Amino acid sequence: MNVLIQTLVDGLLQGSVLALAAIGFSLIFGVLGVINLSHGVLVILGAYLALVARRILGLDPLAALPLVAAFSFAVGYIYQHLVVSPAIRRANLLSSLLVTYGTALIAQNVLVLVFSPDFQSVRPHYANDFWRLGGITLNLLQLVALAASLILITLLYLILNRLPIGRTIRATAEQELAARLCGIDIERIYALTFAIAAAFAGAAGVLIGMLFPFSPASQDDWTIYGFVVVVLGGTGSASGALLGGLLLGVIGTLTTHFIGAAYPNAMVFLVLVLMLLIRPAGLLGNALGASR
Amino acid sequence: MSALTRPRAARVALLALLAIACLVFPVAASPFALRVAQTLLFGAALATAWNILGGFAGYWSFGNSAFLGLGAFAAALMQEHTPIDDPMLRFVVGLVAGGGATTSLALIIGYPILRLRGAYFAIAMLGVSLALAELSSSVDLFEGALGVTVAPITDAAPEKFFYYVFLGLAAASLVIATLVRYARLGYGLIAIREDEDTAPMLGVPTERYKLFGFMLSALITGLVGAAYAFSLGYITTNSVFRTDISFNVIVYTLLGGIGTLAGPTGGENHSLPTGRWPHEGALDHTANQRLRAVPGSLRHKQQLLARSTPRANHRTHTPLMELKFHG
Repeated sequence: MNVLIQTLVDGLLQGSVLALAAIGFSLIFGVLGVINLSHGVLVILGAYLALVARRILGLDPLAALPLVAAFSFAVGYIYQHLVVSPAIRRANLLSSLLVTYGTALIAQNVLVLVFSPDFQSVRPHYANDFWRLGGITLNLLQLVALAASLILITLLYLILNRLPIGRTIRATAEQELAARLCGIDIERIYALTFAIAAAFAGAAGVLIGMLFPFSPASQDDWTIYGFVVVVLGGTGSASGALLGGLLLGVIGTLTTHFIGAAYPNAMVFLVLVLMLLIRPAGLLGNALGASR
Repeated sequence: MSALTRPRAARVALLALLAIACLVFPVAASPFALRVAQTLLFGAALATAWNILGGFAGYWSFGNSAFLGLGAFAAALMQEHTPIDDPMLRFVVGLVAGGGATTSLALIIGYPILRLRGAYFAIAMLGVSLALAELSSSVDLFEGALGVTVAPITDAAPEKFFYYVFLGLAAASLVIATLVRYARLGYGLIAIREDEDTAPMLGVPTERYKLFGFMLSALITGLVGAAYAFSLGYITTNSVFRTDISFNVIVYTLLGGIGTLAGPTGGENHSLPTGRWPHEGALDHTANQRLRAVPGSLRHKQQLLARSTPRANHRTHTPLMELKFHG
């Protein structure tokens, strides 16, 4: 019984970070309709920025998190403005796939050139502290990551649902033409949405860097987890991404523990395909951009 | 530029010339040039296969490496477990196994997965290819993690032999695509791309056509995968179930002109100057991809997409983004 609870707890702890990492992918897909194949790069970039902050400024990753998020925000804004948006304007939405895929390859190789292809980590000194609570082991680092993820996801929820900019973003996602007729500057909203998504991806990258080793090549995985979370939870909503991420985490740890350490990815992808066949709009349905 | 608009006789002459050039090329070429040409033909065959469903019907698969990998593994495991002495027979049996396995997979997953449209179909295919890759490396029976050794089938000049094999496959896939394009099936698939809800009202059996196009695409990809396994001599999960191949195939097709016949073949040739020659400069493989993926998609996109069928441009919302669930 304890083993089952421990596995579930571990899954939820991991899942919260997965949710945070995927939330930007989900937002961009839901609002812009763009499948951002360079999402994983934005996540991994966050981890490398935390590494740089630690090496140069001597900052703890958690202290560097706001800085990394701010930097990623700027990167996202510029990237959408200079690369993704012109591609969509000059051809069509599909071309964004090629552009983001190409950018991901460029960025991955630049990261290899700058940081070497080796695995790195920004594990803090408190990484191995843990508490025992009625037979369940709680790792301090994972709890910190859980708290940070939940706070940030709540923040996104508040941005989307309480602030004027959130209302504008949701309106744009629902009906681009109508939003335009109401005087909304669509290009600016798209760039802002992309920037917010990138900021969350960067923040998630910091937490991922604390929890797991990372290398430039691991960017693929984070793009694919984005896909899975979107399919499980539905696009464009904070709660959907949270649910999808938690499910992904629990499926992963349960499979590792009860079926075998080699199978979590196979299981996750099987669930992805099954989910698409049974309920393609996600468990919660489509919060945004249902008409796309 | 466009050979397709010239008079018929000129077109036939051009094709014949091209065919002769391809056939006699190995006489003069160095083994390295032959291997490069073989890679081009490999990509051309894959892109043409992808185009049958992705280009004609607008169903973008992000996971055609599922078929490539399955075909390769089916062929490799077949030759390992059924010892056949005659190398040519072994090769043919391997091809049949590869093509058979992928066509059966397409038949099994086709009905449920083709009910998904746009991005959901794309993601589902990506999921299928990732799941197969994981299974092939985790399940001991498939030996994907350790790798399967494929016994050589020719003693002398394998690069010449495989050049002709891939030439044959590329030519066959082009012929199949041409036949499909001008058959009832092709017009049906294009009708599906243009408007899948109206097509059945006009008497197009959409489900059957999509499934058939999917199976054809899978068959060609599986045959290419099987031949690829023999040409590599040793395959692992990572060498055949490659997500980058799934994406590159789409890049080739888009560069050449999606939905056209010559496009996928030409698109793969486009990658020649950036994609292959830098190998001599010891750049790694992904570095080559980045050279061709981005400038290509930014610069050439417009004229290349404009060269695709006229109707395709008139639509502002492409099928990939129509997230409707059908069925």
